[in-house]
Amino acid sequence: MHSKFTSCLLFISLLVPLSNNAAEVPSSEKARALIKKMEDLYRADSSFAQLTMRVESPHYQRTMTMESTSLGTEKAFIRILSPKKDRGIATLKQDKEMWNYFPKINKVIKVPPSMMMGSWMGSDFTNDDLVKETTLADEYALQLEETDDLYTITLLPKEQTITVWGKIEYTIDKKSMVPVQQIFYEDDGTKVRVLTYKEPKQFAGNLLPSIMEMIPLNKEGHKTVVIYDTLELNVDGITEEMFTLRTLKKRFR
Amino acid sequence: MLLPKLAFRNVLRQKRRSILTAMSMTGGYILFSFFVSLLDGSYGNLIELFTRDHTGHIQIHFGNYLDRPKLFKSIKRRSELEAALSEEEAVQAFAPRVFAPALAYAKEKSTPVTVVGIDPAMEKNTSMLFHKVKEGNYFSDDVNADGFYPAMLGLGVADSLKLNVGDEIVLISQGADGSIANDIYLVSAKVGTKSSNERQSVYLPMFAAQEFLTMGGGVHEYAILLNHSDEAIDVADALRSRMQNSDWVLSPWQKVEETFYKTMQADQQAAYVELGIVIFLVCIGVLNTVVMLVLERTREFGVLRAIGTNPGKIISMVIMETSILALFSCILGFIISVPINTWFTYVGFVLPEPVDIGGIMASHMQGVLTFKVFALPTLVVVASAITVSIPPSIRAARITPAEALASH
Repeated sequence: MHSKFTSCLLFISLLVPLSNNAAEVPSSEKARALIKKMEDLYRADSSFAQLTMRVESPHYQRTMTMESTSLGTEKAFIRILSPKKDRGIATLKQDKEMWNYFPKINKVIKVPPSMMMGSWMGSDFTNDDLVKETTLADEYALQLEETDDLYTITLLPKEQTITVWGKIEYTIDKKSMVPVQQIFYEDDGTKVRVLTYKEPKQFAGNLLPSIMEMIPLNKEGHKTVVIYDTLELNVDGITEEMFTLRTLKKRFR
Repeated sequence: MLLPKLAFRNVLRQKRRSILTAMSMTGGYILFSFFVSLLDGSYGNLIELFTRDHTGHIQIHFGNYLDRPKLFKSIKRRSELEAALSEEEAVQAFAPRVFAPALAYAKEKSTPVTVVGIDPAMEKNTSMLFHKVKEGNYFSDDVNADGFYPAMLGLGVADSLKLNVGDEIVLISQGADGSIANDIYLVSAKVGTKSSNERQSVYLPMFAAQEFLTMGGGVHEYAILLNHSDEAIDVADALRSRMQNSDWVLSPWQKVEETFYKTMQADQQAAYVELGIVIFLVCIGVLNTVVMLVLERTREFGVLRAIGTNPGKIISMVIMETSILALFSCILGFIISVPINTWFTYVGFVLPEPVDIGGIMASHMQGVLTFKVFALPTLVVVASAITVSIPPSIRAARITPAEALASH
């Protein structure tokens, strides 16, 4: 009941151009709405994307292509298509749980809570980045700052929130309403990693940054770039059945 | 020439006293020689056992792999390195290895393991692995008909996963390119014991391990076997200048197994301290006889002084007497020691219960026949005999004729 009401409110607040409304809506509510909107950008009700991920480190460089399907905020499924060695490896996210499937050994391995901050498939993204176990809008206290072009939202974890970040700075472009950058800080205030959104493109009528670049600042020479090759939003035919452990284990050529 | 003659005569004059002194020195010599032989022998054996087990006498790694192992620190130009090794005469055998931590699964159980990639043929000549196969067969490079590579398990892994020869084992790790390494292998053998150092190891054929870890053709380690562990440091230096590649770091076993080496050295030092105490006791015995000898001959020295003998000559004579005795004792000791030490070197004795030293079970003690075993006791016995005879000899030289002749 409550959540429906809030989302209704959010919907309304988003419909009305935000700049005109600034005075009336409390800044934290506005920040919350902005973050929600950003979080839903790539997901909508359902989505299907083809991605290229490039992992760079001083010692190796690796490129993977993959398919990602999502339903709502709770369910997601990612399957690696190339390179050949990794083809078929899949990740299933259901609510706040996550499993990986390895076709070569025909084994499903649950990602334990302790591994949530661990790297996903050797990239600089964590498992948590995929699962979004912590919902930014709900579990952080938000502060909004505005300049002519940008919204900068400072997210500070609420007391009961379990997270490794001491602070996140989320920057959004005012005009195009797309994310620009997220800077992650540790508890002691040191910058740990920077996620930058680049090259906005039209995907099925929505303008979205097509490249996400994650740079961990504590690991020199490391970088992960995710490129959206295609993205379809609100796709028909994506159903609950596609997000089960059975589907995960299904043979994939 | 008068002095040695006098000294020699003096030794023979009091036969009983001389024999007693000589006996205590001969005993000291034999004890010392036997101790050194056994000590060096058993440590030598232990080191040989230890190095031949898996370490080898010299190891080569890329950069600081030995201190900070990382998957990517691998030796790539292998043929160049192997050519250099083959050219060195002292090198008996060598074997490449790859290491990585992994998680092993079987039947819903899992355990952390160390994946070790080996070249089956080369490893057989370099380490004891082949002789440690307890069940099943030492593997070869080949895949089986279904495309599975074989794996040999340390007994700890086999036990905790309840695996037998012929079963499947799943390994998961991270590849050198950051990817997730995962594959199935067939257990071809169980190796070692529950307490041996390879208990948590899973051995794979080199190619299979490199593929598993996406390492290309690189390896992490070369273990090199020489004729004897003593040569390690010298041969490592020779190889280093031959290779001229600063990325390849050569470490003799003393560096690779630093803890073992240091423990061993500390242990050896403690044993030498014990030996020192034995020698000290022998010295006190010798000192006693020399002091007695001087006291008994107070009148004689008094007469010598009275007829104008130089005090220096008296000192020399007393010292010479002890030296003659010491040398004689050493010769006698040597004659007795040779058969004893020879027996211990070639036969030795079995310990009632094996002693665990740094993970290696020492089951019997053996001596060794080296120059040191006989030279060191000679040096110590003669040197200590001379040292202890100095104070009494000075006393003898200081005797005033009047006092001496007045005493009884």
